Amino acid sequence: MSGITPDISTYANKDNMLHQEDLTFGKWLKNIWQAVTTCFKGLMITGRYIVAVKPVTIEYPEVREELPANSRSRLFNDVDNCISCLQCAAACPVDCIYITAVRRDKEAPKLKTDDGTPIKLDLRQYTIDTALCCYCGLCTTVCPTQCLTHTTDYEFSQYTVSEMKYDYLAEDIRSWKHRIVK
Amino acid sequence: MSSIDGKEMGELGQPVSEKIKSDLLTLNMGPQHPATHGVLRVEIKTDSEIVAEAIPHLGYLHRCFEKHAEHLDYRGIIPFTDRMDYLAAMSMEWGYCLAIEKMLGTEVPRRAQYLRVMIAELQRIASHCVYIGTYGIDMGAFTVFLYYFDEREKILRIFEEISGARMLYNYIWLGGVWNDVTDDQLRRIEKFITELTENVKKYHGLFGENKILEERLANVGVISKELAYEYGATGPVLRGSGVEWDLRKKRPYGIYEELDFDVAIGQGLKGQVGDCWDRYHVRVQEIFESIKIIRQCLDGIEEGSIMGKVPKVLKVPEGEIYMRTECPRGELGYHLVSDGGKTPYRLKVKSSCFTHVSMLPDLAPGQMVADLVATIGSIDIVLGEIDR
Repeated sequence: MSGITPDISTYANKDNMLHQEDLTFGKWLKNIWQAVTTCFKGLMITGRYIVAVKPVTIEYPEVREELPANSRSRLFNDVDNCISCLQCAAACPVDCIYITAVRRDKEAPKLKTDDGTPIKLDLRQYTIDTALCCYCGLCTTVCPTQCLTHTTDYEFSQYTVSEMKYDYLAEDIRSWKHRIVK
Repeated sequence: MSSIDGKEMGELGQPVSEKIKSDLLTLNMGPQHPATHGVLRVEIKTDSEIVAEAIPHLGYLHRCFEKHAEHLDYRGIIPFTDRMDYLAAMSMEWGYCLAIEKMLGTEVPRRAQYLRVMIAELQRIASHCVYIGTYGIDMGAFTVFLYYFDEREKILRIFEEISGARMLYNYIWLGGVWNDVTDDQLRRIEKFITELTENVKKYHGLFGENKILEERLANVGVISKELAYEYGATGPVLRGSGVEWDLRKKRPYGIYEELDFDVAIGQGLKGQVGDCWDRYHVRVQEIFESIKIIRQCLDGIEEGSIMGKVPKVLKVPEGEIYMRTECPRGELGYHLVSDGGKTPYRLKVKSSCFTHVSMLPDLAPGQMVADLVATIGSIDIVLGEIDR
């Protein structure tokens, strides 16, 4: 008949049935004794933490943790050293690096990066969508002039997604060069 | 009240006893339930407090990993493998790299081999710390969560210094590892594992040997040896049922065959073999075994390069391979089919958590709802790995 609960034994796995033994007076006393002693043992362990152990919490806005030097956080590209080789864009697994470059004029003065590589292309756009970036670090390892690096800046939340798109040719971001960069 | 055939009838003409008893109550546990460790929805049918049926529903965290992998080059897949089991990302990377290296025939330098084993075992400890900590929360013990997360935080700090990230490392690369480890860092790892041995013993006394927890976990969610075999359970769940099966021992990869360690199995100390307490205890013992392995690696680590010879433009020869490794949650298998191109033709992942969560319909019936929470907690699932 529908609407009637079947007896538990019809669906229950025998192994899963509540394991109940007959409770004798001796077992009852033993259970209480074990509960008191093991709880007391636990309280002795936690009690030590009141005096003997220092707190480990970092009280964030007042105390800021400094990340290790090779920590992978916000990306920075030093565009003066970039040779527009597109290797970072090719290595990126989520395709979040957008680069536009044009051939440099033959009459224009010859430029070189800090490590002496000649710059043959003019960089017109170098944008990274930081909201899309997965911080895997593959782009920084293929960079031949070491201009693209991860910094240890970790506080860069924004109100809109479009603000997370960094144009590294813009003046305000170029000025990070003197502030961060390991 | 009227009576028909001697039966007492209620107002609507039904027998009183049948009116009080009603249908099974359908209850959705999850997808946003703290006890399901992620976005797992378990549809349970309960008869008052007793569970009659439990059906797990998956797919809330599906990210098309396998399809993505068909469009990415071999190096670009590694960050994606991190995101499968985000609590044991190093182990996920290692299995993938082993598969590709076997296809390429790359030889990994000795120092990198030692580093890989050491990092993977540290990761196993970190993963078990999360397991025991969150299991404590499920069972109503909050203190142990804070203690274990403190230990895990120390491991993550070491990982951050070595690899640059806290959870999604991209550290184990094809042919070796990304960064070298300094002697100072090795000394700190040694200091850490010495402290950890003492601390885990202490925390086990606080949590595992407590009478309240013992009453809660012993004889609950028993997975018999036969049931474990039938479903193909692996890892600590299988070992908790008393089966001595560990890929690190039985099918050694890396340098595990040179290392000396024991396989922890459930012995039914507090109840039957294969109950929730046994699965908890297996993981505690595994932390000690991992410490043993790390100590041997620290003693035996050799100087040298950390990166083998891998071509810059990577093309894996045509063929297929199935590579499995022992991850903190069980066996993880990668089935790779290559057609000789720059991207895999197919990359299938076999996850152990998927197997374990499929056991729920067999485990749940007859349990209390609160015991079901204990059972789900004890098999230690990560939904990122199940849904991929």
